[in-house]
Amino acid sequence: MASLRTTSRLLASSRSLFRPATFARSYATVESGSEPAPQIKKFQVYRWNPDAPSEKPKMQTYELDLKKTGPMMLDALIRIKNEIDPTLTFRRSCREGICGSCAMNIDGVNTLACLCRIPTDTTKESRIYPLPHTYVVKDLVPDLTQFYKQYKSIKPYLQRDTKTEDGLENRQSPEDRKKLDGLYECILCACCSTSCPSYWWNSEEYLGPAILLQSYRWLADSRDQKTAERKHAIDNSMSVYRCHTILNCTRTCPKGLNPARAISEIKKMMAAH
Amino acid sequence: MASLMRQSCLSAFRAPLATRNAVGVSQVVAFHASAKKQILPPQPQTIQGTMNDPAPIPKPHPSHGSYHWTFERLVCVGLIPLTIAPFAAGSLNPVTDAVLCSMLVLHSHVGFQASIIDYFPARRVPKTASLLNWLLRGFTLTTAVGLYELETNDVGLTETIKRVWKA
Repeated sequence: MASLRTTSRLLASSRSLFRPATFARSYATVESGSEPAPQIKKFQVYRWNPDAPSEKPKMQTYELDLKKTGPMMLDALIRIKNEIDPTLTFRRSCREGICGSCAMNIDGVNTLACLCRIPTDTTKESRIYPLPHTYVVKDLVPDLTQFYKQYKSIKPYLQRDTKTEDGLENRQSPEDRKKLDGLYECILCACCSTSCPSYWWNSEEYLGPAILLQSYRWLADSRDQKTAERKHAIDNSMSVYRCHTILNCTRTCPKGLNPARAISEIKKMMAAH
Repeated sequence: MASLMRQSCLSAFRAPLATRNAVGVSQVVAFHASAKKQILPPQPQTIQGTMNDPAPIPKPHPSHGSYHWTFERLVCVGLIPLTIAPFAAGSLNPVTDAVLCSMLVLHSHVGFQASIIDYFPARRVPKTASLLNWLLRGFTLTTAVGLYELETNDVGLTETIKRVWKA
């Protein structure tokens, strides 16, 4: 059965290989009546294949006509994968900046490929890397295991000892709800954490901006009754205080959030207690 | 068997791609990912526990955490008026001079301590970390003794800076 599947895959892939590229069209391309002058841009993409671990990582150059490509970096990557090189590997899902899958380092900035416009300057090539200082699974896919384990360590859920008086839902005043604005929007794409030098050096123990933003989201929640325990749990030299207000997190956040502010709010809360 | 098939099919597939120019793939650039002179090169990935266990959080230690941070901030904020006051007032006061000196020593000690924790973490290089910490304590003590000498047997810090400035 397995051999049958691989044979069929071989057939399928060789068919797409020999098909002329002009007929190949994905949903990432734009239909046009008359053929406009091509606008060729070079994309340099980080490649590393776990099946050949002895080979060094390398940058591979792809050329795309921007006139036939959608406006975003993710469109370009999808087009490269569909039409030029099916072995290129990256994560993507929602293509509208709400899932956080396509976080990568594009032209030196951590961002979501789906929210990053392709620079129209064709004289300069775009360089695409996986998120910096992560263990790479393949090509542009980073391993976020530690990131998710750290998220779990801050207990990202409502903790209460008592039920509400009427036994219905936990209500919150509009003012208290407002305190969660700018916190709940975080999609955990890890752009901020992997842009933080402190997180690069100490990711084993330092929680990093994304997780601290979430930590503050639960510290600031008026419905949560374990604020003191939460504060005590991270009251050590590594979890919070490796933040030196470098502000790379705020600068890079593709959702326009401010993790650095959340961290300083945590520090203020902890100092007052 | 299946994986072997897949391997060979992948490589057979990649071979024509590397030479194909017309469509897009043009060149493969050698990539220097690993600098030779890294001080603490990254280690192979290790995962503590299973994938679903939360990452261990270091034990709570307020004197290394919130108290430490609050103290550090107070010293920082206190240093601003103390640095300006003696020069603005234009008069020499041994008490403010002494307070300025002791806070400067504390401030630099805490600052260097943070650098050691950042760049030589005890979990990775415990011996180097403790050596550097003791070195730092030695330097801090030497500085403190030197400043004490300057204060008691010489003109004091503020006056020294004034003289160097005008020299």
